Amino acid sequence: MGDPLVRLSVRDLQVHFPMGGGFMGGEKRTVRAVDGVSFDLMAGETYGLVGESGCGKSTTARAILGLEKPTSGEIWLGENRIDQLSSRRMQPFRRDLQMIFQDPFASLNPRMTVSDIVSEPMIVHRLYTPKQRRIEVAKLMDLVGLNPKFLNRYPHEFSGGQRQRIGIARALAVMPKVLVCDESVSALDVSIQAQIINLLMKLQKELDLTYLFIAHDLAVVRHISTRVGVMYLGRIVETAESQELYNNPKHPYTQALLSAAPVPDPSSEAQRKRIILTGEVPSPDRVYPGCPFADRCPIVEDGCRTSPPPLEGNGHRAACFKVES
Amino acid sequence: MSEPVLQVEDLQVEFNTDHGVVRAVRNVSFDLAPGETLGIVGESGSGKSVTNLAIMGLLPKPPARIEGGKAIFQGRDLLQLNRKQLSKIRGNRVAMIFQDPMTALNPFLTVEEQMTEVTRLHLNHSRKQARHYAIDMLERVGIAAADRRIDEYPHQFSGGMRQRVMIAMALSCKPDVLIADEPSTALDVTIQAQILELMRDLQREQGTSIIMITHDMGVVATICHRVLVMYAGRIIEQASCEDLFATPHHPYTQGLLRSVPRWDGDGSTELYAIDGQPPDLTNLPPGCAFNPRCRHTESRCQTEHQQLAQLGDDRKVACWKHDAIDAEEKSHG
Repeated sequence: MGDPLVRLSVRDLQVHFPMGGGFMGGEKRTVRAVDGVSFDLMAGETYGLVGESGCGKSTTARAILGLEKPTSGEIWLGENRIDQLSSRRMQPFRRDLQMIFQDPFASLNPRMTVSDIVSEPMIVHRLYTPKQRRIEVAKLMDLVGLNPKFLNRYPHEFSGGQRQRIGIARALAVMPKVLVCDESVSALDVSIQAQIINLLMKLQKELDLTYLFIAHDLAVVRHISTRVGVMYLGRIVETAESQELYNNPKHPYTQALLSAAPVPDPSSEAQRKRIILTGEVPSPDRVYPGCPFADRCPIVEDGCRTSPPPLEGNGHRAACFKVES
Repeated sequence: MSEPVLQVEDLQVEFNTDHGVVRAVRNVSFDLAPGETLGIVGESGSGKSVTNLAIMGLLPKPPARIEGGKAIFQGRDLLQLNRKQLSKIRGNRVAMIFQDPMTALNPFLTVEEQMTEVTRLHLNHSRKQARHYAIDMLERVGIAAADRRIDEYPHQFSGGMRQRVMIAMALSCKPDVLIADEPSTALDVTIQAQILELMRDLQREQGTSIIMITHDMGVVATICHRVLVMYAGRIIEQASCEDLFATPHHPYTQGLLRSVPRWDGDGSTELYAIDGQPPDLTNLPPGCAFNPRCRHTESRCQTEHQQLAQLGDDRKVACWKHDAIDAEEKSHG
């Protein structure tokens, strides 16, 4: 891949899961969790992926991290293609690619001290001498806003926000280039969520990090992202610069999604026009010959059901036949 | 304001835990007017859910203990009723919907069996009557092919549909009060919008009073008429929805409103964040519980607790510095 500024490149990624059949019986079918997703992550930017449950945003993240096997497509980390690698050969690349998880209660080993948790990735990647490690861990604690005197405490002694800081320190321990944040602030209370968002943005500047930021909260994604992709049923249906996407949504799904999100302001709430979508996200185990949103779309036409609308071009793009790009 | 449907006075709830006594709810008093939606907002551990579980008699005792207070509904104190008396009111005159409709519905019973239970008990419906009534309710909450789907089990419904079933069940007996504990939190935004719209429509039709427990300021702005803000077990501010968002008085409310990222804002600046960690309920500081995180704290805040003081018509705040803070906020623009 040519452009040195592209830190991570996802090319036509598909992740399909076989369901049914076998021992438990049932009809054999395929869940197309991710069905042709492409994007580039440029150095120093935050690319936000938003969408509702089941849209494939987390599966995309898991495929990038090598936790799911892609059915087809390519994933490039800088110059290296990583989607076909065995776990062992993937290992050195994991240093550049780290993850911050959603649940700060489940993602930290309760039997390890903070010091052990944060230094473990350094040991795995054979970084530093034991003495140097202790210094680095203390530095990381300071960096994420935790008092280094807590180093010998256990996760249960911390609140949710502090635990998320520990998770961030662990991810940063091996000096990664790209951080995948999958719903990393969703489980936190609003006042703590703001602290962690500010911390992530500060770290990005200081350490020149690139983020893939996945969340269902539109306002959070808007705040933190440079560019945003909106996912529906395993595909990106619209992508643009963050401000442009939110001010000028083109795809009918994006428009409905934005109009449905409640805004913390009663006067503007009273004036807003809601596009209330009927029905629910359809099952991803069907094959859609046309646009996957056609069944719920307020402006659907016959042509929408015959072939899928492409997401082409540069800049602000929407996968919809009725939008001029 | 007309006669309130529900009056809660000086409610106190404690829990015995391994780490000591947790005072989950302290001196909580409020009225609920007919046909209004009262929002109770606060973060985890603020006591918003415990307050309502106490009113409904749903707290496990022990470890919970109601240390004092009253909840007057139709002239009777709900907190003094025995199980039998309470079950005549619960699900009938006062109903509740929960955050997670999957755990609130019984996976072994069909939707019909669960929906008809309340109407056969409270409205003395025959089996046939109850089934017709349940189908009618399901149609009203927007479930298509209700006469077929009523025979299905909860797992055959999606999250949004399950929440609709919960609402249909809760409203079956046309309750006077509906307590909704984070009813849309587990749902996607497009489904959340449908559920909030539905609750508003049903309220308009039936005149039900709703207590809406939520942490989401956007939901409050969308659906609530009045709001109580809770912190560490106490109400720290009370106002009409418009007033609360326009001129929040308590520094915690101010911080809370400012720390919510907004997608219609400019999005470029650093978010306002309330410093520090949520309060440890087993070890609350003396004075105002918010003082360790408050930017305006003074020595007095660390020793004296400020009661919720009346500011005007239905406007209360528990901060003795709010005048000075308001002036300061104004000068900052």
